[in-house]
Amino acid sequence: MMQLKALMVKEFKEAFRDRRALMVAMSMALLMPVMIMVMLKVAIKEAVDNPAVYVKYTGEQHAPKLIKALQDENILSFADVPEDEERNWNERNIELTIPDTFVADMAAGKPIELILRADYNEKSLSSPIRRIKDIVREHSLTIGYKRLLVRGIDIKLLQPIKLLEQDTSLPSSNAVMISLILGVYLMMAAFMSGLPVAIDSSAGERERNVLEMLLCQPVSTLKIVLAKLSCASSIAIISIILMLVLTSVAMNFVDLTKIGATFSIDASTFAILLLLLVPICFLAASLQLLFAFQAKSFKEAQSTVTMLIMAPSFIPFALMMMDDKPAWVEWLPISGQSLLMEDVFKGLPIDWSALLFSSVATIGLTVALVLILAKRLTSEKVVMSLS
Amino acid sequence: MIEVNNLHKSFVSKKNTVKALDGLSFSAKDGEITGILGPNGAGKTTCLRTLYGLLRADEGYATIDGIKVTEEPIKARKLLGIFPDKFGLYERLTAYEQIDYFASIHGMKGADKHAAIEQILNDLEMTELAHRKTVGFSQGQRMKVTLAQALVHQPKNFVLDEPTRGLDVMSTRILRNHLARFKEKGHCILFSSHVMQEVAALCDRVIIVSNGKLAAQGTPQELCDLAGEKLLEEAFVKLIGSDEGVAA
Repeated sequence: MMQLKALMVKEFKEAFRDRRALMVAMSMALLMPVMIMVMLKVAIKEAVDNPAVYVKYTGEQHAPKLIKALQDENILSFADVPEDEERNWNERNIELTIPDTFVADMAAGKPIELILRADYNEKSLSSPIRRIKDIVREHSLTIGYKRLLVRGIDIKLLQPIKLLEQDTSLPSSNAVMISLILGVYLMMAAFMSGLPVAIDSSAGERERNVLEMLLCQPVSTLKIVLAKLSCASSIAIISIILMLVLTSVAMNFVDLTKIGATFSIDASTFAILLLLLVPICFLAASLQLLFAFQAKSFKEAQSTVTMLIMAPSFIPFALMMMDDKPAWVEWLPISGQSLLMEDVFKGLPIDWSALLFSSVATIGLTVALVLILAKRLTSEKVVMSLS
Repeated sequence: MIEVNNLHKSFVSKKNTVKALDGLSFSAKDGEITGILGPNGAGKTTCLRTLYGLLRADEGYATIDGIKVTEEPIKARKLLGIFPDKFGLYERLTAYEQIDYFASIHGMKGADKHAAIEQILNDLEMTELAHRKTVGFSQGQRMKVTLAQALVHQPKNFVLDEPTRGLDVMSTRILRNHLARFKEKGHCILFSSHVMQEVAALCDRVIIVSNGKLAAQGTPQELCDLAGEKLLEEAFVKLIGSDEGVAA
């Protein structure tokens, strides 16, 4: 026990004194909240219905009611454009021409031709144009209905069929998407954060010739592996906690109510996420150590282990693409946790049996990897490749 | 007491097989300094690695105070202080922390551990280095740290693989005095070296290894007599049957 403590103290000292590796480990945690925030901001901007549109009117004095109707939907005159957006809207150049004969033709009941000029191929204009068209049509219909009404005709005659639309998508679907991405990122952080430390304490130590000396000492390789494992996984866990805390802080700066979403990492969500991710951190650290000890040099470890470790962190992506998920993916390490995380973010109740099973499976796999590694460190091959 | 009994070891690779040890047997007694001499590639390091339990002999066995290394490697290593062929330092730790680390691995703790560390730091005259991080240490300073961590737990048996390479005269003398003192206390010291004068001056018994076999053994004087030469160097060359490796 004392040996293990000494081994662990040393691993932690070394890890925390290696600023560069630590920075790399923590960088994911620091970048994540920023990314989430930016993504949310963009999503909110797109989701909010009526951003202001500025239109160059000609003859607007002829149709004040139409202009008012447009104004109500946040379609404003180019004359009122704020200075910083002027160039933008000048370039987009949406023109609406109201003929001088508007009042007279309206009174006479003649068809009036308004002209909407814009670049219909420009994608960013498709939404403003659609909105202007809708309003103009609406306005025109209202006048038409009124004309029929005063002539004593039921306007329902104009609507023989009415389509009722029921939208089943959740109001917060954007938020769900973002929280899924957060889930994938958490998984990646769990997998990647310990990597620099794991490589340094395995392939790095071998390269610096300290491994041989350690292996000559009266200490079981299992303890050595456990010390290194706990160090690398602790770094990953710290990174995840940091990420969760920073993300929940960052969320305060984003007004999610605008897209009708609520998203917060409260204490219980936090605890469940940690419960899900901590076994992953251990599994990741054991995989990293296993592969890094096999690499011949620090550099080789860095390149090959990074590649190998990336693979499992893509499992959540693969799951997102899968439509028909077989039942067993819920029980497997990594895939089980990522499905459960999805549930957590969707606000669904936790399937505790799946959580227990996937955690046990993950820890079981970790134990197996640790034992394999401990066994491997006693073999001659490891020693031979030292020299 | 270190005993090596009929060790055989071959390294097999796809292209060729190297027979590193070919029935090597010797013993190093308590209260004596035993030197292993041999040309490069004679199997010295392989033999010592077998002693630490890093390598498994194909045949034969090694014992430390009667404990078979292959059967109880951890128990055997507890009785050993090792200065390996290849060594490095944990460059982000100070010398003190590093020695402390190895002392803890050997099961020392509390006040005893600190007293032992202070003792070895004083003995090796490296108190000034103690609280510096080891990155940037000179070769000699690195050797000292490695020696200190090998000796801090006052092992009954020392195994040193060329401990004086890279040491300056002062440090070499310190080491020699240190080894002599341990010898008087009844420790068993086994070390390999290329420096004939050192072996002649320090060793009670010399084992000459050549081609993985014991070529000769005895006191330096006995070896000189055996070869009919006055200098150990000449005797060595004669006993191994060639002059290869002497220049190394």
